[in-house]
Amino acid sequence: MKKIINTPENFIPEMLEGIYAAHPNDLTFAEGDLHCLVTKHKQAGKVGIATGGGSGHLPLFLGYVGKGMLDGCSIGDVFQSPSAEQMLAVTKEIDQGAGVLYIYGNYNGDIFNFDMAAEMADMEEDIRVESVVAGEDVASAGPSAEGEPNKRRGVAGIFFVYKCAGAAAAAGKNLDEVKAVAEKTCANVRTMGVALTSCTVPRVGHPSFEIGDDEMEIGMGIHGEPGIRRGRLVPADEIVDEMMEPILKDIPYQAGDEVAVLINGLGATPLEEQYVMFRRVKQILDEKGISLWHTYVGEYATSMEMAGASISLLRLDDELKGWLAAPADTPFFKQFQL
Amino acid sequence: MNAENLKGLLSAWAALMTEKKDWLIELDSVVGDSDLGLTMSDGFAAASGAAAESELTDVGKLAYQAGKAMATAVPSTMGTLMASGLMNAGKVLKGQEEADDAAFFQAYLDGVQNRGKAQLGEKTFLDGLAPAVEALKEGKTPAETAGIAWDAFENTKGMLAKHGRMAIRGEASRDMLDPGAAVAALLMKGYAEAQL
Repeated sequence: MKKIINTPENFIPEMLEGIYAAHPNDLTFAEGDLHCLVTKHKQAGKVGIATGGGSGHLPLFLGYVGKGMLDGCSIGDVFQSPSAEQMLAVTKEIDQGAGVLYIYGNYNGDIFNFDMAAEMADMEEDIRVESVVAGEDVASAGPSAEGEPNKRRGVAGIFFVYKCAGAAAAAGKNLDEVKAVAEKTCANVRTMGVALTSCTVPRVGHPSFEIGDDEMEIGMGIHGEPGIRRGRLVPADEIVDEMMEPILKDIPYQAGDEVAVLINGLGATPLEEQYVMFRRVKQILDEKGISLWHTYVGEYATSMEMAGASISLLRLDDELKGWLAAPADTPFFKQFQL
Repeated sequence: MNAENLKGLLSAWAALMTEKKDWLIELDSVVGDSDLGLTMSDGFAAASGAAAESELTDVGKLAYQAGKAMATAVPSTMGTLMASGLMNAGKVLKGQEEADDAAFFQAYLDGVQNRGKAQLGEKTFLDGLAPAVEALKEGKTPAETAGIAWDAFENTKGMLAKHGRMAIRGEASRDMLDPGAAVAALLMKGYAEAQL
Protein backbone atom coordinates (compact mmCIF):
# COMPACT_ATOMS: atom_id res chain seq x y z
CA MET A 1 0.00 0.00 0.00
CA LYS A 2 1.44 3.35 -1.08
CA LYS A 3 -0.60 6.22 0.34
CA ILE A 4 -0.02 9.61 1.91
CA ILE A 5 -1.66 8.87 5.25
CA ASN A 6 -0.70 8.86 8.90
CA THR A 7 -2.50 5.72 10.05
CA PRO A 8 -5.32 3.79 8.37
CA GLU A 9 -7.50 4.28 11.48
CA ASN A 10 -7.19 8.09 11.31
CA PHE A 11 -7.61 8.34 7.55
CA ILE A 12 -11.23 9.55 7.58
CA PRO A 13 -11.22 11.75 10.72
CA GLU A 14 -8.03 13.47 9.49
CA MET A 15 -9.48 13.88 6.00
CA LEU A 16 -12.50 15.54 7.62
CA GLU A 17 -10.35 17.80 9.79
CA GLY A 18 -8.70 18.95 6.58
CA ILE A 19 -12.06 19.56 4.90
CA TYR A 20 -13.33 21.76 7.75
CA ALA A 21 -10.03 23.61 8.02
CA ALA A 22 -10.04 24.35 4.30
CA HIS A 23 -13.66 25.51 4.08
CA PRO A 24 -14.33 27.25 7.41
CA ASN A 25 -16.83 29.71 5.95
CA ASP A 26 -18.91 27.09 4.18
CA LEU A 27 -18.99 23.90 6.22
CA THR A 28 -19.48 22.83 9.80
CA PHE A 29 -20.69 19.72 11.62
CA ALA A 30 -23.62 18.79 13.84
CA GLU A 31 -23.62 17.41 17.37
CA GLY A 32 -19.86 17.56 17.72
CA ASP A 33 -19.41 14.72 15.24
CA LEU A 34 -17.10 15.37 12.27
CA HIS A 35 -19.08 12.78 10.31
CA CYS A 36 -22.22 14.94 10.37
CA LEU A 37 -21.36 17.63 7.83
CA VAL A 38 -23.75 20.54 7.21
CA THR A 39 -23.69 23.77 5.21
CA LYS A 40 -23.16 27.12 6.91
CA HIS A 41 -25.33 28.79 4.27
CA LYS A 42 -28.82 28.13 5.58
CA GLN A 43 -31.69 29.41 3.47
CA ALA A 44 -34.76 30.00 5.64
CA GLY A 45 -37.82 27.90 4.85
CA LYS A 46 -36.03 25.80 2.23
CA VAL A 47 -36.52 22.05 1.87
CA GLY A 48 -33.38 20.46 3.28
CA ILE A 49 -31.50 17.94 1.14
CA ALA A 50 -29.23 15.40 2.80
CA THR A 51 -27.06 12.71 1.35
CA GLY A 52 -24.56 10.31 2.83
CA GLY A 53 -22.52 7.22 2.24
CA GLY A 54 -19.14 5.67 2.68
CA SER A 55 -15.92 7.63 2.23
CA GLY A 56 -13.43 7.07 -0.54
CA HIS A 57 -15.34 8.76 -3.34
CA LEU A 58 -14.52 12.48 -3.09
CA PRO A 59 -15.95 14.80 -4.27
CA LEU A 60 -18.86 12.42 -3.61
CA PHE A 61 -20.70 12.77 -1.29
CA LEU A 62 -19.82 15.66 0.98
CA GLY A 63 -18.32 17.77 -1.81
CA TYR A 64 -21.73 18.79 -3.06
CA VAL A 65 -22.92 20.39 0.16
CA GLY A 66 -23.32 24.08 -0.54
CA LYS A 67 -25.42 26.73 -2.26
CA GLY A 68 -27.78 25.41 -4.90
CA MET A 69 -27.09 21.76 -4.10
CA LEU A 70 -27.13 19.89 -0.77
CA ASP A 71 -27.50 21.00 2.86
CA GLY A 72 -25.91 18.12 4.72
CA CYS A 73 -24.06 14.84 4.43
CA SER A 74 -23.35 12.03 6.84
CA ILE A 75 -20.00 10.39 6.30
CA GLY A 76 -19.07 6.78 6.89
CA ASP A 77 -15.73 5.04 7.02
CA VAL A 78 -14.21 3.96 3.70
CA PHE A 79 -16.96 2.22 1.71
CA GLN A 80 -19.09 1.87 4.90
CA SER A 81 -22.44 3.47 5.55
CA PRO A 82 -22.66 6.13 8.24
CA SER A 83 -25.05 5.29 11.08
CA ALA A 84 -28.72 6.21 11.20
CA GLU A 85 -27.95 8.29 14.29
CA GLN A 86 -25.49 10.40 12.29
CA MET A 87 -28.00 10.78 9.47
CA LEU A 88 -30.59 11.88 12.03
CA ALA A 89 -28.19 14.49 13.47
CA VAL A 90 -27.74 15.97 9.97
CA THR A 91 -31.50 15.84 9.36
CA LYS A 92 -32.26 17.76 12.55
CA GLU A 93 -29.64 20.38 11.74
CA ILE A 94 -30.83 21.09 8.18
CA ASP A 95 -34.61 20.92 8.69
CA GLN A 96 -36.14 24.37 8.39
CA GLY A 97 -39.71 23.25 8.86
CA ALA A 98 -40.18 22.38 5.17
CA GLY A 99 -39.04 18.77 5.53
CA VAL A 100 -35.95 16.95 4.34
CA LEU A 101 -35.22 14.94 1.21
CA TYR A 102 -32.66 12.12 1.33
CA ILE A 103 -30.86 11.46 -1.95
CA TYR A 104 -28.36 8.61 -1.87
CA GLY A 105 -27.03 5.67 -3.83
CA ASN A 106 -28.63 2.25 -4.12
CA TYR A 107 -26.62 0.18 -1.62
CA ASN A 108 -28.17 -1.97 1.11
CA GLY A 109 -26.20 -0.54 4.04
CA ASP A 110 -27.13 3.02 3.06
CA ILE A 111 -30.78 2.13 2.39
CA PHE A 112 -31.23 0.40 5.75
CA ASN A 113 -29.65 3.26 7.66
CA PHE A 114 -31.43 6.06 5.79
CA ASP A 115 -34.76 4.25 6.23
CA MET A 116 -34.07 3.93 9.95
CA ALA A 117 -33.06 7.60 10.16
CA ALA A 118 -36.27 8.61 8.37
CA GLU A 119 -38.30 6.62 10.90
CA MET A 120 -36.42 8.19 13.81
CA ALA A 121 -36.90 11.68 12.32
CA ASP A 122 -40.62 11.02 12.12
CA MET A 123 -41.01 9.32 15.51
CA GLU A 124 -38.62 11.34 17.63
CA GLU A 125 -38.37 14.72 15.92
CA ASP A 126 -41.58 15.12 13.93
CA ILE A 127 -39.61 15.96 10.78
CA ARG A 128 -41.10 14.82 7.48
CA VAL A 129 -38.54 12.97 5.40
CA GLU A 130 -38.82 11.67 1.84
CA SER A 131 -36.20 9.57 0.04
CA VAL A 132 -34.99 9.16 -3.51
CA VAL A 133 -32.51 6.36 -4.16
CA ALA A 134 -30.31 6.86 -7.21
CA GLY A 135 -29.36 3.76 -9.20
CA GLU A 136 -28.32 4.37 -12.80
CA ASP A 137 -25.40 2.02 -13.48
CA VAL A 138 -26.66 0.06 -16.49
CA ALA A 139 -23.91 -2.53 -16.04
CA SER A 140 -25.07 -3.53 -12.56
CA ALA A 141 -28.51 -4.95 -13.40
CA GLY A 142 -31.22 -4.90 -16.02
CA PRO A 143 -34.03 -2.37 -15.97
CA SER A 144 -36.51 -3.13 -13.19
CA ALA A 145 -40.00 -4.29 -14.09
CA GLU A 146 -43.05 -2.23 -13.09
CA GLY A 147 -43.44 -2.39 -9.30
CA GLU A 148 -40.09 -4.14 -8.82
CA PRO A 149 -37.35 -2.41 -6.80
CA ASN A 150 -34.50 -0.90 -8.82
CA LYS A 151 -31.47 -3.18 -8.48
CA ARG A 152 -28.99 -0.88 -10.18
CA ARG A 153 -26.15 0.67 -8.21
CA GLY A 154 -25.87 4.40 -7.88
CA VAL A 155 -22.66 5.92 -9.24
CA ALA A 156 -21.53 9.27 -10.71
CA GLY A 157 -24.93 10.10 -12.22
CA ILE A 158 -26.14 11.02 -8.75
CA PHE A 159 -24.32 14.33 -9.38
CA PHE A 160 -27.10 15.29 -11.79
CA VAL A 161 -29.74 14.36 -9.20
CA TYR A 162 -28.08 16.57 -6.58
CA LYS A 163 -27.76 19.40 -9.09
CA CYS A 164 -31.37 19.39 -10.31
CA ALA A 165 -33.06 18.70 -6.95
CA GLY A 166 -30.74 21.20 -5.25
CA ALA A 167 -31.71 23.90 -7.73
CA ALA A 168 -35.40 23.15 -7.24
CA ALA A 169 -35.06 23.38 -3.45
CA ALA A 170 -33.09 26.64 -3.71
CA ALA A 171 -35.90 28.02 -5.90
CA GLY A 172 -38.34 27.43 -3.04
CA LYS A 173 -40.13 24.32 -4.32
CA ASN A 174 -41.83 22.22 -1.64
CA LEU A 175 -40.76 18.75 -0.52
CA ASP A 176 -43.03 16.86 -2.92
CA GLU A 177 -41.93 19.04 -5.83
CA VAL A 178 -38.22 18.67 -5.04
CA LYS A 179 -38.69 14.92 -4.70
CA ALA A 180 -40.42 14.83 -8.09
CA VAL A 181 -37.48 16.65 -9.68
CA ALA A 182 -35.04 14.19 -8.10
CA GLU A 183 -37.10 11.24 -9.35
CA LYS A 184 -37.37 12.67 -12.83
CA THR A 185 -33.60 13.17 -12.94
CA CYS A 186 -33.03 9.58 -11.77
CA ALA A 187 -35.38 8.34 -14.48
CA ASN A 188 -33.37 10.10 -17.18
CA VAL A 189 -29.77 9.43 -16.16
CA ARG A 190 -27.71 6.39 -17.11
CA THR A 191 -24.08 5.55 -16.36
CA MET A 192 -21.50 3.00 -17.42
CA GLY A 193 -18.00 2.62 -16.03
CA VAL A 194 -14.68 0.98 -16.85
CA ALA A 195 -11.91 0.10 -14.41
CA LEU A 196 -8.24 -0.41 -15.23
CA THR A 197 -6.75 -0.86 -11.74
CA SER A 198 -8.02 -1.55 -8.24
CA CYS A 199 -8.21 0.76 -5.28
CA THR A 200 -6.88 -0.15 -1.83
CA VAL A 201 -8.94 0.34 1.32
CA PRO A 202 -6.42 1.69 3.89
CA ARG A 203 -7.53 -0.59 6.73
CA VAL A 204 -7.36 -3.62 4.43
CA GLY A 205 -3.95 -2.69 3.04
CA HIS A 206 -4.04 -4.61 -0.23
CA PRO A 207 -5.89 -4.01 -3.51
CA SER A 208 -9.63 -4.84 -3.45
CA PHE A 209 -9.28 -7.05 -6.52
CA GLU A 210 -6.65 -8.38 -8.90
CA ILE A 211 -6.53 -7.15 -12.48
CA GLY A 212 -3.74 -7.71 -15.00
CA ASP A 213 -1.55 -4.86 -16.31
CA ASP A 214 -3.03 -5.35 -19.78
CA GLU A 215 -6.64 -5.82 -18.63
CA MET A 216 -9.73 -3.68 -18.16
CA GLU A 217 -13.15 -4.45 -16.74
CA ILE A 218 -16.16 -2.90 -18.42
CA GLY A 219 -19.03 -2.11 -16.08
CA MET A 220 -17.17 -2.50 -12.81
CA GLY A 221 -18.72 -0.74 -9.79
CA ILE A 222 -17.01 1.94 -7.73
CA HIS A 223 -16.26 -0.50 -4.92
CA GLY A 224 -14.91 -3.10 -7.31
CA GLU A 225 -18.21 -4.89 -7.83
CA PRO A 226 -18.02 -7.27 -10.80
CA GLY A 227 -18.69 -5.74 -14.20
CA ILE A 228 -20.00 -7.10 -17.47
CA ARG A 229 -16.81 -8.14 -19.18
CA ARG A 230 -13.12 -8.35 -18.39
CA GLY A 231 -10.74 -8.31 -21.30
CA ARG A 232 -7.58 -6.93 -22.80
CA LEU A 233 -7.24 -3.18 -22.77
CA VAL A 234 -8.28 -1.81 -26.19
CA PRO A 235 -8.05 1.69 -27.75
CA ALA A 236 -10.13 4.46 -26.15
CA ASP A 237 -12.65 4.67 -29.00
CA GLU A 238 -13.47 0.97 -28.68
CA ILE A 239 -13.88 1.29 -24.91
CA VAL A 240 -16.21 4.25 -25.30
CA ASP A 241 -18.21 2.47 -28.03
CA GLU A 242 -18.74 -0.49 -25.70
CA MET A 243 -19.80 1.82 -22.83
CA MET A 244 -22.10 4.04 -24.85
CA GLU A 245 -24.10 1.31 -26.54
CA PRO A 246 -25.95 0.05 -23.43
CA ILE A 247 -26.48 3.62 -22.15
CA LEU A 248 -28.12 4.72 -25.40
CA LYS A 249 -30.18 1.54 -25.69
CA ASP A 250 -31.46 1.68 -22.13
CA ILE A 251 -33.42 4.96 -22.26
CA PRO A 252 -33.73 4.46 -25.35
CA TYR A 253 -32.39 7.58 -27.03
CA GLN A 254 -33.84 8.94 -30.26
CA ALA A 255 -32.56 11.42 -32.80
CA GLY A 256 -33.41 14.93 -31.64
CA ASP A 257 -32.96 14.20 -27.92
CA GLU A 258 -30.89 16.63 -25.91
CA VAL A 259 -28.34 15.50 -23.31
CA ALA A 260 -25.89 16.59 -20.69
CA VAL A 261 -22.76 14.41 -20.50
CA LEU A 262 -20.61 13.71 -17.46
CA ILE A 263 -17.21 12.13 -18.00
CA ASN A 264 -15.99 11.10 -14.56
CA GLY A 265 -12.49 10.02 -13.64
CA LEU A 266 -12.30 7.32 -10.95
CA GLY A 267 -9.22 8.78 -9.27
CA ALA A 268 -6.08 7.83 -11.19
CA THR A 269 -7.13 8.54 -14.76
CA PRO A 270 -5.86 11.90 -16.03
CA LEU A 271 -8.09 14.57 -17.54
CA GLU A 272 -6.27 14.12 -20.84
CA GLU A 273 -7.60 10.58 -21.11
CA GLN A 274 -11.06 11.74 -20.05
CA TYR A 275 -11.11 14.26 -22.91
CA VAL A 276 -9.99 11.56 -25.34
CA MET A 277 -13.03 9.61 -24.17
CA PHE A 278 -15.30 12.61 -24.47
CA ARG A 279 -14.15 13.20 -28.04
CA ARG A 280 -15.53 9.78 -28.98
CA VAL A 281 -18.75 10.33 -26.98
CA LYS A 282 -19.41 13.51 -29.00
CA GLN A 283 -18.80 11.65 -32.28
CA ILE A 284 -21.33 9.01 -31.28
CA LEU A 285 -23.92 11.61 -30.24
CA ASP A 286 -23.45 13.37 -33.60
CA GLU A 287 -23.89 10.09 -35.47
CA LYS A 288 -27.14 9.43 -33.62
CA GLY A 289 -28.51 12.95 -34.05
CA ILE A 290 -28.51 13.55 -30.28
CA SER A 291 -27.70 17.11 -29.40
CA LEU A 292 -25.21 17.95 -26.68
CA TRP A 293 -26.49 20.66 -24.33
CA HIS A 294 -23.77 20.73 -21.69
CA THR A 295 -20.64 18.77 -20.74
CA TYR A 296 -18.91 18.11 -17.44
CA VAL A 297 -15.46 16.46 -17.41
CA GLY A 298 -13.45 15.73 -14.30
CA GLU A 299 -13.56 13.87 -11.01
CA TYR A 300 -17.10 13.77 -9.62
CA ALA A 301 -17.31 10.32 -8.01
CA THR A 302 -14.06 8.49 -7.46
CA SER A 303 -12.81 5.28 -5.97
CA MET A 304 -9.61 6.53 -4.36
CA GLU A 305 -6.65 5.52 -6.55
CA MET A 306 -8.63 3.40 -8.99
CA ALA A 307 -7.84 4.05 -12.65
CA GLY A 308 -10.81 4.15 -14.95
CA ALA A 309 -13.73 6.36 -15.80
CA SER A 310 -17.47 6.48 -16.19
CA ILE A 311 -19.76 8.09 -18.70
CA SER A 312 -23.14 9.43 -17.58
CA LEU A 313 -25.82 10.81 -19.87
CA LEU A 314 -28.79 12.83 -18.65
CA ARG A 315 -31.64 13.19 -21.12
CA LEU A 316 -33.00 16.70 -20.84
CA ASP A 317 -36.29 18.47 -21.27
CA ASP A 318 -36.97 22.15 -20.64
CA GLU A 319 -37.60 21.61 -16.94
CA LEU A 320 -34.39 19.65 -16.29
CA LYS A 321 -32.39 22.11 -18.40
CA GLY A 322 -33.63 24.89 -16.16
CA TRP A 323 -32.52 23.12 -12.99
CA LEU A 324 -29.19 22.03 -14.46
CA ALA A 325 -28.48 25.57 -15.63
CA ALA A 326 -29.00 27.15 -12.20
CA PRO A 327 -25.93 28.41 -10.35
CA ALA A 328 -24.26 26.34 -7.63
CA ASP A 329 -21.42 26.99 -5.23
CA THR A 330 -19.94 24.20 -3.11
CA PRO A 331 -16.35 23.48 -2.08
CA PHE A 332 -15.99 20.97 -4.93
CA PHE A 333 -18.41 22.26 -7.55
CA LYS A 334 -19.01 25.79 -8.75
CA GLN A 335 -21.13 26.86 -11.69
CA PHE A 336 -22.42 30.20 -12.93
CA GLN A 337 -25.90 30.31 -14.47
CA LEU A 338 -25.56 28.45 -17.79
CA MET B 1 -39.83 -11.28 30.02
CA ASN B 2 -39.26 -8.19 32.11
CA ALA B 3 -36.54 -5.56 31.78
CA GLU B 4 -34.08 -7.60 33.87
CA ASN B 5 -34.72 -10.66 31.68
CA LEU B 6 -34.10 -8.60 28.54
CA LYS B 7 -30.81 -7.36 29.98
CA GLY B 8 -29.87 -10.97 30.70
CA LEU B 9 -30.82 -12.00 27.16
CA LEU B 10 -28.76 -9.21 25.57
CA SER B 11 -25.82 -10.08 27.78
CA ALA B 12 -26.09 -13.76 26.76
CA TRP B 13 -26.20 -12.72 23.10
CA ALA B 14 -23.17 -10.47 23.49
CA ALA B 15 -21.18 -13.28 25.12
CA LEU B 16 -22.25 -15.84 22.51
CA MET B 17 -21.45 -13.58 19.54
CA THR B 18 -17.99 -12.98 20.99
CA GLU B 19 -17.49 -16.70 21.56
CA LYS B 20 -18.60 -17.51 17.99
CA LYS B 21 -16.89 -14.54 16.36
CA ASP B 22 -14.33 -16.56 14.42
CA TRP B 23 -16.95 -19.04 13.27
CA LEU B 24 -19.08 -16.20 11.88
CA ILE B 25 -16.06 -14.61 10.22
CA GLU B 26 -15.28 -17.89 8.53
CA LEU B 27 -18.87 -18.42 7.36
CA ASP B 28 -19.04 -14.86 6.04
CA SER B 29 -15.68 -14.95 4.28
CA VAL B 30 -17.01 -17.39 1.68
CA VAL B 31 -18.80 -14.54 -0.07
CA GLY B 32 -18.94 -11.52 2.22
CA ASP B 33 -16.31 -9.15 3.47
CA SER B 34 -15.92 -11.35 6.56
CA ASP B 35 -16.81 -8.58 8.98
CA LEU B 36 -19.97 -10.32 10.25
CA GLY B 37 -18.26 -11.78 13.31
CA LEU B 38 -16.95 -8.37 14.26
CA THR B 39 -20.23 -6.54 13.63
CA MET B 40 -22.24 -9.04 15.62
CA SER B 41 -19.89 -9.15 18.62
CA ASP B 42 -19.43 -5.35 18.65
CA GLY B 43 -23.12 -4.74 17.97
CA PHE B 44 -24.58 -6.97 20.66
CA ALA B 45 -21.94 -5.77 23.10
CA ALA B 46 -23.12 -2.19 22.47
CA ALA B 47 -26.78 -3.20 22.84
CA SER B 48 -26.09 -5.10 26.05
CA GLY B 49 -23.95 -2.30 27.44
CA ALA B 50 -26.62 0.33 26.80
CA ALA B 51 -29.30 -1.85 28.40
CA ALA B 52 -27.17 -2.67 31.43
CA GLU B 53 -26.72 1.03 32.18
CA SER B 54 -30.44 1.77 31.79
CA GLU B 55 -32.91 1.97 34.64
CA LEU B 56 -35.93 1.58 32.38
CA THR B 57 -38.49 -1.00 33.45
CA ASP B 58 -40.46 -0.71 30.19
CA VAL B 59 -39.33 -3.71 28.11
CA GLY B 60 -40.22 -1.92 24.87
CA LYS B 61 -38.34 1.26 25.62
CA LEU B 62 -35.36 -0.75 26.81
CA ALA B 63 -35.29 -2.81 23.61
CA TYR B 64 -35.54 0.38 21.51
CA GLN B 65 -32.65 1.97 23.40
CA ALA B 66 -30.51 -1.14 23.03
CA GLY B 67 -31.33 -1.26 19.32
CA LYS B 68 -30.32 2.35 18.81
CA ALA B 69 -27.01 1.75 20.57
CA MET B 70 -26.40 -1.17 18.24
CA ALA B 71 -27.33 0.84 15.13
CA THR B 72 -24.85 3.52 16.12
CA ALA B 73 -22.08 1.05 16.92
CA VAL B 74 -22.35 -1.08 13.79
CA PRO B 75 -24.02 0.65 10.82
CA SER B 76 -23.22 -2.23 8.47
CA THR B 77 -25.99 -4.05 6.64
CA MET B 78 -26.37 -6.86 9.14
CA GLY B 79 -25.76 -4.56 12.10
CA THR B 80 -28.58 -2.28 10.99
CA LEU B 81 -30.89 -5.23 10.40
CA MET B 82 -30.32 -6.63 13.89
CA ALA B 83 -30.76 -3.16 15.38
CA SER B 84 -34.02 -2.81 13.44
CA GLY B 85 -35.26 -6.03 15.03
CA LEU B 86 -34.62 -4.69 18.51
CA MET B 87 -36.06 -1.28 17.74
CA ASN B 88 -39.23 -2.77 16.28
CA ALA B 89 -39.61 -5.03 19.32
CA GLY B 90 -39.29 -1.79 21.27
CA LYS B 91 -42.08 -0.11 19.34
CA VAL B 92 -44.42 -3.10 19.61
CA LEU B 93 -43.79 -3.80 23.31
CA LYS B 94 -43.69 -0.17 24.43
CA GLY B 95 -45.61 0.30 27.67
CA GLN B 96 -45.15 -3.30 28.86
CA GLU B 97 -43.16 -4.22 31.97
CA GLU B 98 -43.80 -7.91 31.38
CA ALA B 99 -43.76 -8.97 27.75
CA ASP B 100 -44.49 -12.25 26.03
CA ASP B 101 -41.35 -13.95 24.66
CA ALA B 102 -43.04 -15.02 21.43
CA ALA B 103 -44.34 -11.48 20.88
CA PHE B 104 -40.81 -10.14 21.39
CA PHE B 105 -39.32 -12.48 18.80
CA GLN B 106 -42.19 -11.96 16.35
CA ALA B 107 -41.64 -8.19 16.57
CA TYR B 108 -37.88 -8.70 16.15
CA LEU B 109 -38.51 -10.81 13.04
CA ASP B 110 -40.95 -8.24 11.61
CA GLY B 111 -38.48 -5.42 12.26
CA VAL B 112 -35.74 -7.22 10.34
CA GLN B 113 -38.10 -8.12 7.50
CA ASN B 114 -39.51 -4.60 7.17
CA ARG B 115 -36.02 -3.16 6.96
CA GLY B 116 -34.47 -5.75 4.66
CA LYS B 117 -37.54 -6.43 2.51
CA ALA B 118 -36.60 -10.09 2.03
CA GLN B 119 -39.14 -12.89 1.79
CA LEU B 120 -38.94 -16.30 3.41
CA GLY B 121 -36.99 -18.81 1.34
CA GLU B 122 -34.56 -16.23 -0.01
CA LYS B 123 -31.69 -17.57 2.12
CA THR B 124 -31.46 -14.90 4.81
CA PHE B 125 -31.61 -14.39 8.57
CA LEU B 126 -35.40 -14.72 8.29
CA ASP B 127 -35.12 -18.37 7.26
CA GLY B 128 -33.30 -19.11 10.48
CA LEU B 129 -35.54 -17.15 12.83
CA ALA B 130 -39.04 -17.57 11.37
CA PRO B 131 -39.42 -21.32 12.10
CA ALA B 132 -38.20 -20.70 15.66
CA VAL B 133 -40.74 -17.93 16.21
CA GLU B 134 -43.51 -20.24 14.97
CA ALA B 135 -42.33 -22.92 17.39
CA LEU B 136 -42.34 -20.45 20.28
CA LYS B 137 -45.89 -19.46 19.45
CA GLU B 138 -46.87 -23.13 19.50
CA GLY B 139 -45.55 -23.33 23.04
CA LYS B 140 -42.28 -25.16 22.40
CA THR B 141 -39.58 -24.71 25.06
CA PRO B 142 -36.63 -22.35 24.48
CA ALA B 143 -34.30 -25.37 24.15
CA GLU B 144 -36.54 -26.98 21.52
CA THR B 145 -36.78 -23.65 19.70
CA ALA B 146 -33.00 -23.34 19.64
CA GLY B 147 -32.79 -26.77 17.99
CA ILE B 148 -35.36 -25.76 15.40
CA ALA B 149 -33.43 -22.57 14.59
CA TRP B 150 -30.22 -24.59 14.18
CA ASP B 151 -31.94 -27.01 11.77
CA ALA B 152 -33.40 -24.05 9.91
CA PHE B 153 -29.90 -22.58 9.56
CA GLU B 154 -28.61 -25.86 8.14
CA ASN B 155 -31.57 -25.94 5.76
CA THR B 156 -30.40 -22.73 4.13
CA LYS B 157 -27.99 -24.96 2.21
CA GLY B 158 -29.91 -25.66 -0.98
CA MET B 159 -31.71 -22.31 -1.05
CA LEU B 160 -31.01 -19.85 -3.84
CA ALA B 161 -29.69 -16.52 -2.50
CA LYS B 162 -31.59 -13.44 -3.62
CA HIS B 163 -29.87 -10.80 -1.49
CA GLY B 164 -26.43 -9.43 -0.77
CA ARG B 165 -23.11 -10.56 -2.13
CA MET B 166 -24.15 -14.22 -2.13
CA ALA B 167 -26.82 -13.48 -4.75
CA ILE B 168 -24.04 -12.58 -7.21
CA ARG B 169 -23.04 -16.26 -7.16
CA GLY B 170 -26.41 -17.30 -8.59
CA GLU B 171 -26.96 -21.08 -8.61
CA ALA B 172 -23.61 -21.66 -6.89
CA SER B 173 -25.08 -20.03 -3.77
CA ARG B 174 -27.16 -23.18 -3.19
CA ASP B 175 -24.08 -24.99 -1.85
CA MET B 176 -23.53 -22.38 0.85
CA LEU B 177 -24.87 -21.90 4.36
CA ASP B 178 -26.33 -18.49 5.05
CA PRO B 179 -24.35 -16.52 7.67
CA GLY B 180 -27.43 -14.45 8.53
CA ALA B 181 -29.38 -17.58 9.42
CA ALA B 182 -26.39 -18.60 11.54
CA VAL B 183 -26.87 -15.42 13.55
CA ALA B 184 -30.55 -16.35 13.97
CA ALA B 185 -29.54 -19.78 15.28
CA LEU B 186 -27.16 -18.12 17.74
CA LEU B 187 -29.88 -15.75 18.95
CA MET B 188 -32.13 -18.71 19.80
CA LYS B 189 -29.23 -20.61 21.37
CA GLY B 190 -28.52 -17.58 23.56
CA TYR B 191 -32.20 -17.33 24.44
CA ALA B 192 -32.26 -20.97 25.55
CA GLU B 193 -29.05 -20.59 27.57
CA ALA B 194 -30.20 -17.35 29.25
CA GLN B 195 -33.14 -19.21 30.86
CA LEU B 196 -35.35 -16.14 31.32
